[in-house]
Amino acid sequence: CWIPHYTNKDLQSLFDDIRKELFVTKEELKSLCDYYFDGKGKAIRPIIVILMARALNIHSNRAGDLLPGQRALAMISEMIHTASLVHDDVIDGSDKRRGKRTINDMWGERKAILAGDLILSAASVLLARIGNNAVVKVMSQVIEDLVRGEFMQLGSKENENERFKHYLEKTFKKTASLIANSCKAVSILVTSDPEVHEIAYQYGKNVGIAFQLVDDVLDFTSGASHLGKPTAADLKLGLATGPVLFACQQFPELHAMIIRRFSSKGDVDRAWQYVLQSDGVQQTNYLAQRYCQEAIRQINRLRPSAERDALIRLTEMVLTRDK
Amino acid sequence: MLPATWSRLSHRALSCRGQRTLSLFSSSGPSDWTKVVSDAEKIVGYPTSFMSLRCLLSDEFSNVAMHVRKLVGTRHPLLNTARGFVYDSKNNLQMRGLIVLLLSKAAGPSHAASDLLGQDMVSGIYPSQRNLAEITELIHTAFLVHRGIVNLNEWTDSDGPLKDMQFGNKMAVLSGDFLLANACTGLAQLDNTKVVELISSAIGDLVEGIYHENSNNTEENSLTDGVNVATWEDQTFLSHGALLAKSCQGAMELAKHDKECQRLAYKYGRHISLGHKLNSDLQPFVKSSIGEPVSFSLSTAPVVFHRQIVGRERWNQQLQEVKTQRNQLDYSKLLAAVKSEKGVSSAVDLCCYHGNKALEAIQAFPSSEARSALENIASAITKF
Repeated sequence: CWIPHYTNKDLQSLFDDIRKELFVTKEELKSLCDYYFDGKGKAIRPIIVILMARALNIHSNRAGDLLPGQRALAMISEMIHTASLVHDDVIDGSDKRRGKRTINDMWGERKAILAGDLILSAASVLLARIGNNAVVKVMSQVIEDLVRGEFMQLGSKENENERFKHYLEKTFKKTASLIANSCKAVSILVTSDPEVHEIAYQYGKNVGIAFQLVDDVLDFTSGASHLGKPTAADLKLGLATGPVLFACQQFPELHAMIIRRFSSKGDVDRAWQYVLQSDGVQQTNYLAQRYCQEAIRQINRLRPSAERDALIRLTEMVLTRDK
Repeated sequence: MLPATWSRLSHRALSCRGQRTLSLFSSSGPSDWTKVVSDAEKIVGYPTSFMSLRCLLSDEFSNVAMHVRKLVGTRHPLLNTARGFVYDSKNNLQMRGLIVLLLSKAAGPSHAASDLLGQDMVSGIYPSQRNLAEITELIHTAFLVHRGIVNLNEWTDSDGPLKDMQFGNKMAVLSGDFLLANACTGLAQLDNTKVVELISSAIGDLVEGIYHENSNNTEENSLTDGVNVATWEDQTFLSHGALLAKSCQGAMELAKHDKECQRLAYKYGRHISLGHKLNSDLQPFVKSSIGEPVSFSLSTAPVVFHRQIVGRERWNQQLQEVKTQRNQLDYSKLLAAVKSEKGVSSAVDLCCYHGNKALEAIQAFPSSEARSALENIASAITKF
């Protein structure tokens, strides 16, 4: 398909190798840890990391082949992402993910938390083995950002003007930081040029934010069966995302609902109606477009390659995806 | 605090510890113990702080504190964990951190080229070693918090409102994750990927150990073959020893001490941890507790030894014999049953074995105040 041949080959063995890193003696714990590494997820993070690594290698006058550390980072990005999902499902009380029951639904909250901790520790061991202090620092920042992002969701800003800024910052911490820093990390392994590090980081950051914005839109516009998890999920969790924040401008009734986190009877349904009647969805999509444009602008500063083109394609696909 | 006043869920969540106190060392002669610790703290320059100032001043921490206050009046275990930190200061010793600091000092300055380290020692300890000590405590605390999570599908009305348990869980997950994240960034700042690997692997060990702990701590499990002494030691090392052992080794690596030194430090950490756990497990069995309510976990050392000695059938019999009319275990009667056989003395012997092994390891270091403090700690463990 649109992903260059070599990248496809890289991906095939990736999940097998992740499972090998989850070295655990107790069978049940092992199956919990392996649960989401079945190759059925979108794997968008490893795909971006691998494409970026190859594009950077070519830009820096090397062959496109992945350095071992870069491949490890692709695995690490998916592992950190998965560990955070496992914990998020406990925090949100979710019972479904990717079309199957969540770990906490099947095995209980205690074991789910332990599984998440284990995946994280395996990712850290793998990270340390790359042997590069700067890379370790960049990736541990991700771990901190993920937790801070989750904390940011606990509180809602009273002031409307701060709300959007808060939303974008939370979006960066929860979604974009991982992609931005993984890209930066693979760049550190191939060059010491800070300008190149910045290109990689900015691409990751912008595409990451765009990705989440579209995700937030899909929560309103997509049917439940399509996504593998229920929709209006964010509203039900009390979260006000892009479409809602934009819709506030046309429906001020939403302010009070946001502050009480859609907790009153009928709030979720009414809020959903308001959003679909407003231009909240369109505005959020437009914003996502602008982030995508910036991502493409950044990546175009790299030397041409099949992988660079694939990253551009990928960025465009972020906007047009329907799940 | 009597087990009966806790909800069933909390008890299940915390019973693996067997006791209420969160201290690493239980009070075998409180005044001696306090002296050992305060002497040790003087040697390392200042008392090990509860959490790094950075953590305490963070928005997240005040966020958590505010939310945890909402848990007052509920039965979520997190409240107990939090209470332990705030009020239990006598018992809230950060022994792991203290041991790492003492070992760092006992091992002395690095023989590697001084520009390699570029750090100044304070009270004979490098800043990176101090940071590692703190990171160790962060990780330990993170798992104390994560251990307090309850399984919602086991919830019944007697545990109080479901939403309290859900909220408590949320706070426990987030706080634990916050502590772990700080540990990770702290590790990254050490600029030593070997140490990052070592401590990260210790986190994996902790998870495995706790996972086993949870599975073993059911009465059903003790009715099957369950755990024998050898597996008990392996599993207990994972949940109670790996973190300290690897941190001790890591502290040596940070100062670029040689492999032998690292091995000895690891050995000390390992044996101290196992010795301590044995001492802690033995407390209900060696203290004269007339009139005091008795409670202990069935996965503690004396019980495991006892089970192995009397055999599965006899053990099942004994369990049946001590059941009350409401089909609950009468722990005082079970205590007497265990004390009547050799389980307790076997556990005491094993405890002394580990204490001696720890002494052996530390005595290979050059003589110093710090070394003496570590010897005192090892000796204190074998006192009953």
